[in-house]
Amino acid sequence: MFYRENGQFKSSYRADQQIFPIAQDRIAIALLLLVAFVVVPLGVSDYWMRAILTPFLILSLAALGLNILVGYCGQISLGTGAFMAVGAYAAYNFHVRIDGMPLIASMLLGGLCATLIGVLFGIPSLRIKGLYLAVATLAAQFFTDWAFLRIQWFTNNSSSGSVSVAGLNVLGMPIESAVQKYIFCLVVVVVFALLAKNLVRSAIGREWMAMRDMDVAAAVIGIRPVYAKLTAFAVSSFIVGVAGALWGFIHLGAWEPAAFSIDRSFQLLFMVIIGGLGSIMGSFFGAAFIVLLPLFLNQLPAWLGFSISTALASHLETMIFGALIVFFLIVEPHGLARLWSTAKEKLRLWPFPH
Amino acid sequence: MKLKSIALTAALVASTLGAVFAPSLAQAQAKEQFFPLLVYRTGPYAPNGTPWANGKQDYLKLINAQGGINGVKITFEECETGYATDKGVECYERLKGRPGVALFDPQATGITFALTDKVPSDKIPLITLGYGLAASQDGGVFKWNFPLMGSYWTAADILIQHLGKKEGGLDKLKGKKIALVYHDSPFGKEPIPLLQERARMHGFELSLIPVTAPGVEQKSAWLQVRQQRPDFVLLWGWGVMNSTALKEAVATGYPREKMYGVWWAGAEPDVKDVGANAKGYNALALNGSGPDTKVIQDILKQVHDKGQGTGPK
Repeated sequence: MFYRENGQFKSSYRADQQIFPIAQDRIAIALLLLVAFVVVPLGVSDYWMRAILTPFLILSLAALGLNILVGYCGQISLGTGAFMAVGAYAAYNFHVRIDGMPLIASMLLGGLCATLIGVLFGIPSLRIKGLYLAVATLAAQFFTDWAFLRIQWFTNNSSSGSVSVAGLNVLGMPIESAVQKYIFCLVVVVVFALLAKNLVRSAIGREWMAMRDMDVAAAVIGIRPVYAKLTAFAVSSFIVGVAGALWGFIHLGAWEPAAFSIDRSFQLLFMVIIGGLGSIMGSFFGAAFIVLLPLFLNQLPAWLGFSISTALASHLETMIFGALIVFFLIVEPHGLARLWSTAKEKLRLWPFPH
Repeated sequence: MKLKSIALTAALVASTLGAVFAPSLAQAQAKEQFFPLLVYRTGPYAPNGTPWANGKQDYLKLINAQGGINGVKITFEECETGYATDKGVECYERLKGRPGVALFDPQATGITFALTDKVPSDKIPLITLGYGLAASQDGGVFKWNFPLMGSYWTAADILIQHLGKKEGGLDKLKGKKIALVYHDSPFGKEPIPLLQERARMHGFELSLIPVTAPGVEQKSAWLQVRQQRPDFVLLWGWGVMNSTALKEAVATGYPREKMYGVWWAGAEPDVKDVGANAKGYNALALNGSGPDTKVIQDILKQVHDKGQGTGPK
């Protein structure tokens, strides 16, 4: 009843092609951005911003990058942790070795280095598909694990192998407090989400989706597989690299290669699968599910009033989390984003039954 | 003999409280002091982390049973980190806001690195008992880090001096081969600069053999040990890496008498699985071992006998 397009006529192509054609959607997104930019920094505690919302934003950016590769282009990648690591360490090297390098510039350059590595490890995709490609990208993961542990130059010859950054600022404004870090991550994520959404709606996005659906047919109608696959790897790695730089600089502050281990790659892949392959919104849902749910499960016994040992809580969290993943994949194999779209479709008819 | 590990942990906490409560006396006016406990009871480091966490809780309960610190009771809450840096940071953020937070003891070098950047702005003492950033001994720079009971540089130095004494003088180390089998993480890499300096000073050959974390797979490392035949092996491991290293030493036939572990490689859970084959293995110890120390007797009497013990005796 409320969620209908009645009376909303578009009189230009531009209006017809906008990302949110329905006015109610536009209002909802405007409200969401208002809450995210204004209400949250003012009303939410530091703990929530530092420990929950900031990691959620950074991981949803990484999931967004991975979704472009896995969801839109259909190339399975298990090397996301590696690309995050490349982004983080490259940004660190630019930040530390060049005096006065602006933070945003070093992060974008870190993303570019991740792009180069991503394209390099994406070359096998021109010959192999599916699970075999997953194994080839796994090689990227282990290679970067080794490289950042063994090659001293990457960690600025730190004796312990751990690196840290301090005194971050953008155009003179410091990025130190929880609010500043949160707003910085939010701005980066909003900009990249907008760019990614427009990219997947454009010609190149359609090329990616064609490669995903039927690569032989796509090649027959004139889509160059090399161009499509490598650009997917390039764009995906860039976004993931910037997310890695954010993770290291903003969230952790000091990190070692174990922060970008294979567990991180699996975590991001699960986010994308559960959130919804081939959906920008799905990356956010998946990240919310995987970041927030374990924390919620961890704190649930305390809220319900009974106390259990931390080991038991940790094990229960893993078990319940796994069971929920299986449940969601049975109920909706296309992920949470599809559940959301279905709900919106039903809202268009509500409350009138068919 | 779980008591050996309880002794280890209890002695650690004993020196913490002794050294730290001088600056915290101002807060003793409040009725309670909150101790956040960052522990890992899951994951590959749980074999050592669990008894450590149990011992810490037992000691805090002992202090409470004896009336608290100048009458101030201790409240505590555990937070599971699984030895992961980001979980440790999340636990820190969650618990630092509680009223009357005394200190943080992350039990992990990786988490220590991440928290070292955060504690100066939050103004909470970060206690690192025999682990952590060796450079934080410089209190002028690291004002909120308190590395107690020695750092990894101290540990490595003690080992080299002991080996020198065993050989009849540090100059007798010249020409010997010493291998460092270390956990490939900041924890394992900390002693390397000191060992390299000592190698330069005394003329022994230092070979570095990293073991990929968490250290369950060590066959290639010990193959290198077998090929190089070092005179001594320094074991710098934690958690499941220690027992695996000893089992691999048995498998490759390296005499355990020539193995010297850091204090994190010398606890009961490390040798329990290996059994009689671990006989002869040496390790540094931060405390007395066995159930006869007064602290252990007190804990057994005042905490465990009253049914308040954490974990098995």
